[in-house]
Amino acid sequence: MFLEIQNIVKNFGQEQVVKNLSFSLDAKKTLSILGKSGCGKTTMLKTIGGLLSPDSGSIRLNGEDITHKKPEKRNIVYLYQEDLLFPHLNAFENIAFGLRLKNIPKSIITDRVNHMLKSLELENQSQKMPNQLSGGQRQRVSFGRAIITNPSLLLLDEPFGSLDAGTRHRMQGLFKNLSKEFEISSLFVTHDLKEAVLMGDEIGFMQAGNLKVYTDKNEFIADPETGVEEEIKFWGALAGLEKNVDLKKH
Amino acid sequence: MKNRTNNFIISLFIAIGVIPFAAAFVYALLYSFGIIGIANDGFTTAFWSAVWSSGTFFQSFLYSFSIALVSITLSVGGALWATLKFRKQLEQKFLSFILYLPLAVPGIVTGFFTFQLFSKSGFFSRIGYQMGWISQPSQFPDLVNDVFAFGIVLSFVTMIMPFFLLLFLNVYKNERVEELSVLAQALGANAKQVTQRIFLPILIKKTWVIIVLYFIFLLGAYEVPLILGQESPQMLSVLIIQEIKQYDLDRISEGYVIAVMYTLIVSVAAILLFLPRRKPAYET
Repeated sequence: MFLEIQNIVKNFGQEQVVKNLSFSLDAKKTLSILGKSGCGKTTMLKTIGGLLSPDSGSIRLNGEDITHKKPEKRNIVYLYQEDLLFPHLNAFENIAFGLRLKNIPKSIITDRVNHMLKSLELENQSQKMPNQLSGGQRQRVSFGRAIITNPSLLLLDEPFGSLDAGTRHRMQGLFKNLSKEFEISSLFVTHDLKEAVLMGDEIGFMQAGNLKVYTDKNEFIADPETGVEEEIKFWGALAGLEKNVDLKKH
Repeated sequence: MKNRTNNFIISLFIAIGVIPFAAAFVYALLYSFGIIGIANDGFTTAFWSAVWSSGTFFQSFLYSFSIALVSITLSVGGALWATLKFRKQLEQKFLSFILYLPLAVPGIVTGFFTFQLFSKSGFFSRIGYQMGWISQPSQFPDLVNDVFAFGIVLSFVTMIMPFFLLLFLNVYKNERVEELSVLAQALGANAKQVTQRIFLPILIKKTWVIIVLYFIFLLGAYEVPLILGQESPQMLSVLIIQEIKQYDLDRISEGYVIAVMYTLIVSVAAILLFLPRRKPAYET
């Protein structure tokens, strides 16, 4: 397996936020993790990304134990809930940031960033500062900046949470395309049921620090804990109601 | 109603902020050309020529510029270093309260304290004598009224470093530098790269206007250089006041020449500093 998490535990004082976390992920796949606020999703991602140290357990990436490796040495990128761009750099330089750290020749950086800007449909926005970009554009720059460094693993923490429905839908499509184009392995955390189903090759459900990964989407839908059945019933009932209204009209 | 309020505010600003300054400047300009002044006989460029050829202004300007530059560099550098190294400790209530205290001390008091501490008959000189390090006050190094302006620089740094420290701590928090640093780390930046590419550029870019304004303020500071400065060259404000208060009435006009030149330089710098160059923000 590409990513292997074994028995990770993370406590804050007396509170156990992540409980005996174990799961694995194949390369070039996305595991979407559904969970309510405060269930330990962000702590889990930050622990895998090295921004928090686990109290016990191990993390292996591509066969290597990275449990105690510094975050900058892991080649894992954690993407915040918000589109956190570097305010002193324009869109081009934000995307180029990770490449400039590696002393890559300037011409190669320019080519790769321009290619990324094209993939993100941001060719005409490259010189704009973050405060001149819309929410969706900022989020795309944030993606581009993470993906261009070719990370082994991308950790996305509710990346579309602050976007309106339309922009969110477009961003979901864009992320799917980018994942395919750049062969990204990722953990995609969300509290949106539809998004979890749409974005993941596999789906997990996190509750009170425990993560359950489902073998397929049917098992996920069938589990009453996930709330999918309730959702289906709700929309089903609404559709039935509308049908009745239509029949009465005619 | 809104227009009337705006007009009133603009009129008030002109009455309080512009007219007195403009009147003083015109008065100084007329005096410098001999048009007004008790001993002057009418328009002349003699005072300007005298100041220009003596070189006093340029010496004094260079001296003031150097002192202001060294003081601002030490203050900003020290405050940045302290923000980077001791941010968490400095955010504690007691320490942040302590930081505000120097801001309440007037420049003249700081100048006197520095004089009392570092003069040849001051506190440290007496300690040195008691400890047997020096046998007479003249052996104590020149730390006030000295050629390197040690006392002036020390007073300036004591006065403004706490201000910059508070400013940087605030900007660090508001600009979310902590989260941006973590993000940079996740993108592969080591501690040195985080400092060079995130911490310093963000803090300096956000505060450079204030840094420059403080530099201009130090350039024209009066009380501290008056107490701790040397005879020659003097800092600009001290030189101007000394010239204007001269018994030699011709020197008064020369004092106004220096004042006009200094005002013009600072005004041009301020105009360049505040020229509008912001690009419009994203509009939805």
